[in-house]
Amino acid sequence: MNYDVLIVGGGIAGMESALTLGDMGLKALLIEKEPSIGGKMVLLSKVFPTLDCASCISTPKMASTIHHPNVTIMTSSEIRKIAKNGDGAFKALINRKSTYVDNNACTGCGECEAACTVALPDRFNFGMVAHRAAYIPFPQAVPKKAVINRQGQSPCSNVCPAGVKAHGYVSLVRSGRYDEAFHLHMEDAPLPGSLSRACYAPCENACTRSDLEGSVDIRRIKRFMVDHYYSAHSEPEYGTPEKLSDKRIAIVGSGPAGLSAAYHLGRKGYHIKIFEREEQAGGMLRYAIPAYRLPKDIVDRDIKNITALGVEIETNTNITSVASLKEQGFDTVFLAVGTYETWKMNLPGEDLDGVMDCMGFLSKANTGKISDLSGKTVVVVGGGNSAIDPARLALRMGAEKVIILYRRTRKEMPAHEWEIQAAIDEGADLMILKTPRRFIGSNGRLVKVEVLRMELGEPDDSGRRRPVPVKGSEHSIDVDLAVLAIGLRPSTDSFTDQLKINRNETFRVNPETLETNIPSVFAGGDGVTGPAMIVDAIGQGKRAAFYINRYLQGESLDNIEFDSRLSIADKYDVLSNRGAISKRMQIVAVEPPPSQRVKTSEEVEKCMTEEEARYSANRCLDCGNCSECGECIKACPADAVHFDMQPEEIEIEADSVIVSTGFKLFDAHLKTNYGYGKYPNVVTAMQMDRLVSPTKPFNRTLRPSDGKAPDNIAFVLCTGSRDCTIDNPICSRVCCMYSIKQAELIMGALPLADITIYYIDIRAFGKGYEEFYKQAKEMGVYFVKGRVAKIELVEDGNLSVFYEDIDGGSGPQQMEHDLVVLSVGLLPNMDALHLFNNGDRLEADAYSYVKEINEDIDPTRTSIDGVFAAGTTSAARDIPDSILHAGAAAAQAAGYIHQLKASR
Amino acid sequence: MMEGVIDRGIAEIIRDEMIMHDKIISILKDDPKTIPEIAEALGYPSHEVVYWVMAMWRYGKIEETTAKPNADGYFMYKVK
Ligand SMILES: Cc1cc2nc3c(=O)[nH]c(=O)nc-3n(C[C@H](O)[C@H](O)[C@H](O)COP(=O)(O)OP(=O)(O)OC[C@H]3O[C@@H](n4cnc5c(N)ncnc54)[C@H](O)[C@@H]3O)c2cc1C
Ligand code: SF4
Ligand code: SF4
Repeated sequence: MNYDVLIVGGGIAGMESALTLGDMGLKALLIEKEPSIGGKMVLLSKVFPTLDCASCISTPKMASTIHHPNVTIMTSSEIRKIAKNGDGAFKALINRKSTYVDNNACTGCGECEAACTVALPDRFNFGMVAHRAAYIPFPQAVPKKAVINRQGQSPCSNVCPAGVKAHGYVSLVRSGRYDEAFHLHMEDAPLPGSLSRACYAPCENACTRSDLEGSVDIRRIKRFMVDHYYSAHSEPEYGTPEKLSDKRIAIVGSGPAGLSAAYHLGRKGYHIKIFEREEQAGGMLRYAIPAYRLPKDIVDRDIKNITALGVEIETNTNITSVASLKEQGFDTVFLAVGTYETWKMNLPGEDLDGVMDCMGFLSKANTGKISDLSGKTVVVVGGGNSAIDPARLALRMGAEKVIILYRRTRKEMPAHEWEIQAAIDEGADLMILKTPRRFIGSNGRLVKVEVLRMELGEPDDSGRRRPVPVKGSEHSIDVDLAVLAIGLRPSTDSFTDQLKINRNETFRVNPETLETNIPSVFAGGDGVTGPAMIVDAIGQGKRAAFYINRYLQGESLDNIEFDSRLSIADKYDVLSNRGAISKRMQIVAVEPPPSQRVKTSEEVEKCMTEEEARYSANRCLDCGNCSECGECIKACPADAVHFDMQPEEIEIEADSVIVSTGFKLFDAHLKTNYGYGKYPNVVTAMQMDRLVSPTKPFNRTLRPSDGKAPDNIAFVLCTGSRDCTIDNPICSRVCCMYSIKQAELIMGALPLADITIYYIDIRAFGKGYEEFYKQAKEMGVYFVKGRVAKIELVEDGNLSVFYEDIDGGSGPQQMEHDLVVLSVGLLPNMDALHLFNNGDRLEADAYSYVKEINEDIDPTRTSIDGVFAAGTTSAARDIPDSILHAGAAAAQAAGYIHQLKASR
Repeated sequence: MMEGVIDRGIAEIIRDEMIMHDKIISILKDDPKTIPEIAEALGYPSHEVVYWVMAMWRYGKIEETTAKPNADGYFMYKVK
């Protein structure tokens, strides 16, 4: 794309240059990093000395700029680099950030903003009020389009294998929108009840708050949201989709992977049948996880979410042949068979009656086929979570003694520490550094286990130290039941002759599409990943559904990305850039004491109360800003919000460049003796300009400490200007006059207010400025010559200002005010100095403003030929001067362009 | 949380708005109140309550009851 001029910065100066050049018939591209043009001027109340409304003057200019046929505007865009070509023209690389809103569709109605669940400081009101993660910058914004503030994806959501928007439902619960939270979860994963109990919650490990007092209790918040919803909705609110497909899908296995695939495909109207070899559906949810962790009525209710779509489940049906399913007329097959087998230990006596594998024991116990172990000694072999469940279950079935036998130390146990502790609290014995050598029977029944003591040797491939048997340490333990929980094995045996299988007995699939070596046959869940988590399996089911749908639609499976996510929000940034974060402890989970809970198979963990859930949700730090709750998408009547919009890198060429990146404001926190950021009633002049503007952040001009209309206001001039202590010795040129302007405006808004201006000397140099100053005095503004030394808090939020009365000659004095305005100075925007490639250096002057090489006789020209500075980029200026300067820059640029064109 | 001194991060105070809505609405349900009165009922400092009340005003959840403040300089707010 070629332009005559590239203008960087869309404040009043940038707009003026663009319009002037546009009127000359030259093509201008105006780049603005914010979502609206207008710069700081449009945020001001009125302008000195005429007291014309700033936005009334700005908005017509903004509108002319956006509608000018020769001016192109790119908002929310930043320059990556500008380089000068050999021929005198410039090449620029521009990053157009994604706003996630289609500007052609957005009407600026603000419905998204009203629905949004994330409150953030509104930078266009200088932090005095909140706006939302979905926002329209300000009422006069041009373009007046919404923007979604997404700073990466929050860690909790980013790590979820099923793509559940954890941050989204947490923010909905925080807002009290529990049903919406439930529905958001259902967009990604259909088994929220089971996950709310038994998910190992990788989101919590990733949670930024885990670096502070402990992660947000995301899973327990989900539990609250699910219980709230299920208690009001015993049945799903939906039925079979209206539009049904004639394509048929067979799913083998009704665990989380199979159910998840069925749900996502069922929503698309496919005819789906799940085949399950056990008596009931649910897979591990039903047969492995004990009821004290996951009540079976919750599993039943979860499964209704799938069957409500018309998905059929045929139980007691063991599928051993993919071909037979094809013969039955299924167009595609998804194998979600899980890992129901247990690896053998290959020890003598392993086949004895009384030696059971983990899944055999759990499924019998969970279905009541074994229910009483009173008086028995049970030994569970293994150190993973699959060893803890049988141990705790055996205790609930009355076992007198339960031993967990593990060959390394507790530290190396793969089970979660809290689960190990819970088992020990409930009475299990942990025998570490021991392994069975053989099982000893009497009349075919197990009576003893011979064990060997181990010691730790060198680390193995997993990094854990290898257990080495201690010679001669054999001894035996009397036992009635041994449960072998040394690892689960994929249930792929029936398919070895039909499908490619890996050495670890998992299905060999394309890891992206989950397609097996037979096109139309897909596999997922633990049968592919090996033993993993419920949420992994749900993610696999969702992935498979995505590609199965494409397959059935005849679409290619190649080079199509499933579940593309924004990059993860940086925890460090969150913790360092969000201001102070108070300590907020986790809510301690309520559980009956171990001695009591072991007597029943009732659910151990109690649900949070509503108050606790909202408190817990409010511990969230809104890491990525937007929570992806999706409320804006639902609220937008124009369907303009699209989270899949991508940023663009655009390369352009231009004959000339105008830099109009404006100024920065002095950070008043640096004058610590003035108490800015500490005392609510110390504000900056930019905040005061907002407080007296027609689009003020409060309902009237009120003080921030308590919403009272102030009646005794002070201005402290030269805050951050003419002050060597903060390394800015120069005058900011506008502070005297804007303070007088604000004083006059306050007198209009609050006629009874007293106003004092503390100054060093008043700089009223422009046309009409001296008269403006006199007018303020005549109106009763009290001018005190003397620099303010410090500000202290007195009663009721009022402030005591310490100053030296120079004119009155009465030395150090003190005066009480109920609002103090710091008339902060202007500073250079040094970003401008980094716009160009190193070879072409934009030089700075002694105060770090962009240097005009010969300001007196050749204004706006910079150190790079063809680059011109406009407005406050090169010095502190007021609006009339900025406009004049921008006109000069436009004229200079036009001259350069003309010469360049003539030389070609 | 101290009256008169900002001792929490602004971003955190602003985040709290979302759990304060319902509480503030229920405080204002029967009688309109000034910001210091809401602050007292909530048990939070007034300067924090200003953030929540002003955001609720901005997004049309509450409104002031009169065009002018009372003799002490305060507006009363009611549920809209
Ligand atoms: C409290 C206060 C009150 C004031 N009141 C008055 C008044 O009443 N009358 C008066 O005459 N003057 C007043 N001024 C001064 C006035 O604000 C400035 O003169 C005017 O805003 C200067 O315009 P500008 O375009 O040079 O800069 P800015 O308004 O700062 O605009 C620069 C623009 O460039 C954008 N930008 C910056 N870097 C980049 C980049 N790398 N890429 C793309 N875009 C970028 C910025 O986002 C911004 O939109 C006041 C100033 C203050 C602080
Ligand atoms: S997804 Fe939710 S949090 Fe994000 S902008 Fe939309 S409404 Fe706000
Ligand atoms: S603080 Fe909130 S957004 Fe950040 S990771 Fe934790 S739950 Fe997610």
